[in-house]
Order: sequence, then C-alpha cells, then structure tokens
Amino acid sequence: MTVLAAKSLMVADAANKCAPGLPANFCHHHETTGCVAGNGLFCFGWAADNFDRYVGPFFRHFEIVAISVVAGFVIALALALYSHRHRALVPPLLGATGVLYTIPSVAFFFLLLPITGLGLWTAVIPLTAYTLQIIYRNTLAGLANVPADAKDAGRGMGMSERQLLRRVELPLATPEIVAGLRIAIVSTVAIATLAFLAGAGGLGDPLYAQPTFKTNIIMVGVLTIAMALILDLIVVLAQRFAMPWQRARSR
Amino acid sequence: MGHAEALSVAFQKATKVYPGADHPAVNELEVDVPAGEICVFVGPSGCGKTTAMRMVNRMVDITEGDILVGGTSVRERSPSDLRREIGYVIQQTGLFPHRTIAQNIATVPGLLGWDGDRVEARVRTLLQLVSLDPELADRFPAQPSGGQQQRVGVARALAADPGVMLMDEPFGAVDPINRERLQNEFLRLQAEVQKTILFVTHDIDEAIKMGDRDAILREGGILAQYATPAELLMAPADDFVEDFVGADRALKRLALLRVADIDLWKAPLAFVGQATAEVRAKLEGAEVPHALLVDSERRPLGWLSETDLQQELVPATPDISPEPVIDRDDVMRDALSDVLQHETMYAPVVDAEGRIGGVLSVEIISEFLGSKEALSEEHAAVERPTE
Repeated sequence: MTVLAAKSLMVADAANKCAPGLPANFCHHHETTGCVAGNGLFCFGWAADNFDRYVGPFFRHFEIVAISVVAGFVIALALALYSHRHRALVPPLLGATGVLYTIPSVAFFFLLLPITGLGLWTAVIPLTAYTLQIIYRNTLAGLANVPADAKDAGRGMGMSERQLLRRVELPLATPEIVAGLRIAIVSTVAIATLAFLAGAGGLGDPLYAQPTFKTNIIMVGVLTIAMALILDLIVVLAQRFAMPWQRARSR
Repeated sequence: MGHAEALSVAFQKATKVYPGADHPAVNELEVDVPAGEICVFVGPSGCGKTTAMRMVNRMVDITEGDILVGGTSVRERSPSDLRREIGYVIQQTGLFPHRTIAQNIATVPGLLGWDGDRVEARVRTLLQLVSLDPELADRFPAQPSGGQQQRVGVARALAADPGVMLMDEPFGAVDPINRERLQNEFLRLQAEVQKTILFVTHDIDEAIKMGDRDAILREGGILAQYATPAELLMAPADDFVEDFVGADRALKRLALLRVADIDLWKAPLAFVGQATAEVRAKLEGAEVPHALLVDSERRPLGWLSETDLQQELVPATPDISPEPVIDRDDVMRDALSDVLQHETMYAPVVDAEGRIGGVLSVEIISEFLGSKEALSEEHAAVERPTE
C-alpha cells in the first residue's frame, strides 16, 4: 500500500505546478508547447524527444515477461509430461494451477513482498504462476488429442514409451502446446504492466508515473501491444518453420 | 532382392482374459501358421480376432498358453525387440502425419539404428515394391489418397524385412474398387516377399480371397474352424461356419479362382488404320463376335461397332468403350461383378503391363459355375440354387 500512496502523493504534488498529473521538473522544458500543457491526445514532438525514457522500461518489461514465460513453460511442460503417464496427478495439478490462476495479481505481489522484498522476483513468481494453468491445460489437451492409431502404430513398431513421447506424441501435440504458449505470452505482457507494484519496473513505471498525461498513456499502450504482437509473431513463425506438415495439410 | 527367412507362428492354447472380464477374449487358441503363408483370422465382431493377432507382438499380453514365433516363445522376448521384428499394419494406417512418407517408412530401421545410406536405399526399394511414385517420398502422408496411404503403411511394415507381418483390417477403410486393387497388389507382393502374414478381417469374402488358410473364430475367442478356403466352402465344420460362410457358397468359390487360371476366349484384334475388310473376315467364326481395337502395344482401346466396320479403315476412336478391363490376377468373383456392373457380355483381360491376354465372357463364368470343378463335392450340389 505504501507504494501506491507514494505514487498518488507525487501526482497530487505535480498538479500545482503545470498540467494536471505532470511532475514539476517535467513541465518547464515544455511549457511553450501547447500540446503538452493542454494534455493533447498525442504530442508527437514530446514523444520523439522523450522516447529514450521508455527504452529502459521496455526492455525491463521484456525481461520480466521472458523469465516468467520461459520458467512457466518449463514447469508446466514438465508437470504435463509427468502427469501424462501418471494420470492420477492430473486433477490435483489442474486444481492447484487453477487456484494460483485465480489469485488477483496485486494481492499476489503484496503477499510476496514480505518474503521476497521489492524487486524482480516478486513480480516474476506470480507471473510465472499465472502461465502454469494455461500451458499445463493446453499441453494435456494436445497430448490427449494425438491420434490413437499413430500411438498404436508407434508402439506396435517397437517404440519405447519415451521414444513414442519424443517422436510421436510431443510433435503432434505441438500445435496445442504452442496455442497455450501464445495465450500465456500475451497475457503476461499485459499483467506485467503491474510489475512496478512489486518494485520490478517495466512499462508500468512510466505509465503510473504520469497516469493522466495522455501522450504517456498512449506511448505505454502502444509499446505494450507492440511487444505482445512481436512476441506472438515470433512464436507463430517459429511454429510454421518447425512444423512443415501443418502447412502441407492446410495447403 | 533377398528377403529374410519367413518365420512360422504357432498359437499353443493361447488365452487372453482381460482384467475384470468374466469370459476369455481368446480361449485356448490352437493355430499353426506355416512360414510364408497368409493366415486370415475372420469372425463376427467380439470374436477376439484382433486380440489374437495383437498377442503375437505382445501388444496384448498372453494370460495363459503361449505363442511361438520361429519356434521361440514371445513371452521370452522383450516387447520392443519382438515388435521391431514383426511388421505391423493397421486399418487407420497409423501413419505419422508429422513425418514424410520416406521418414514414415524408415521408422523401424531408424529404431534399429541403420545408417542413413542403408535407410535411403531401403526406402527407395520399398516405394517401388508397393508401386508408389518415388516423388511421394518427401510428401506428408495427409496428401496422398487412402489407397496410397495404405501402400505406405505396408511399405513401412516391410521396412526392416520382418519374418512375420500382422495386418489388422488393412484394407477396411478403403473404398471397394480400391480395396480390390490393393488386395490383388498385395497378393502379387506376397508372392514375391513370401512373409508369414496374420491378417484380420470381418469380411469372409476377403478371407477367402486372401488366405492360404482361414481361422474362423466365434464369440468368446473360440476357434470354429481352421482350414483352407476351399475346405471351408466345401466342408464347413458346423452350422456356425456354414452360416458365417453364407448361403452363396457356390458363388464364393469364384473367389478361389483367378482369371489367369481359366481358359479365356479370343477376340479378333484390330489395329488403327487396318482395312476393315480384313477385320470383318476375322470375325467370321470367331469365339467372340466383336472385334477389339488395340494399340501397337496390344493394349485394348475399345470394341468396334457395326458403324466402325462400315468404314474402309479401322478408326482410332471406337464407338464402344473397352470397360471393364479385367486384370488377369483378379479373382473370378471380382471379375464377374465388374462384368455385371457394366452390363456387358465380354471383357478384355490384360496382364500387369495392360496388354491383352484374352476375353472373359459371361458364358465362361456360367459354364464354370455349372461345371464339375465347381460342384465336385456333394455339399455344393445341395447348395445349388434350384432353377
């Protein structure tokens, strides 16, 4: 709560000096430009001059997303592969990842603060936890949808369970696993804008520093969406490259 | 090309009881399949035929009794090693959609750790063996038709040159015309590779056509009769077998005979550009009262009509289509059905290269059905429909 309070104090303080929501040290360079003073919809000049203030948070945001998604993917995949052969574990794991998924992010950060303190890990742990449910569920669905005849043929030709998994089941489950990964990436990019509450930075930092300055809000919004789209595109292209049989089928 | 020795398969009171089931799925099955023969397991659904087949490569574990492959108990073998030595073909093909056709065929050689060159050479040989275009090697199996997919399935099962092949309704999902062709092709292939084949089907006609011996199973996995198709037709062991084989046994016997095995008729042949007078002369007193136009390779192009023969020279496009063209490896039953479907009296019979070998007429078939050969046993005479 202290962090939020500090932010709102800063905002209130800034309101006396120039346009509402802008800090004092921010306005004096730009008082002459009507756009910033009047808080226009999007001030191109200001955006161009101040682009570098978003670069750091952008890459920090990417770092948070990358660590969370990679960690979540590894954990969820391992859990799915293990419970694929030990079916009794599926309901408890679905339940556990489901419970994690329902914890509100802000509450999750504050729950962790006393344990992990302000910083990267306090953000990464909840974000990782949120990806588990999505990726775990999709991986299980993908494995369940592998055609029974392909599995039967694989076993009947003398594949061990491990060979069957690696050569037949995982490749054929990949489209659904990747679908889960894509949802996880996009939602993590969005939720990571709250990571500043955990003291981890990211694009949430500039956003909540000037939450009423429209140009700022749009800059953060555009950068967040761009990151989500770019990461999604990379995954789609990687998938097309790695799974030529899918292209062949849809041709 | 050389082939590995085929192995015999012996079921010795092989029994399977599924956990929790009251009755065995397969009950003390005793069947000896000599090396190099096709044994068809046939019976109504629930008769345990697929279970019996899957016990051979331990896809289903034996509860009691034993199965010897090449004289060795399958229970003493590791399932993986055993399965890599036994070809496996299933109805839905089980092709891996994410692997190319070449990669699919190379599955077992890959598991056995063959080197790349050997695998590649083997794939090429197999594509040729099952009459698949080598161009298909790098395609994915979703692309070719159902018939081609099943050919890939057969090639994949043959890849490591197994001594035994298991085939579970391999042509069940293919349309009837393609099924007939695949069956003929497979029999030709088998004549070359001479594997021991355990073949499962619910279709008695397929069993009669494909099997050197058929094992008829009844509900509860009990063997009703194990005999050659001819024996099954002429001397069914009991009412169950008689019912299962069906009332049309005389007709079914047509499935035991290949077109190549009977004396065909000869039709006068005509070539494009020949004087029609010559052809008309040949027509007099010919067995088949129509002239068949063939190309320079003696492949049938069609029948010449009266109008065709009115012209001075034989035209390039005859009035009457040559269909149905019968493959000399077809069984008589399929040939008869083709002829009847086309509502014609005569059908040209061709060899594997499509060259004319003779003409099949409805009369030949009806003569055969009335002949001593078809009615040599009393049973058959009793079954003969009253006229």
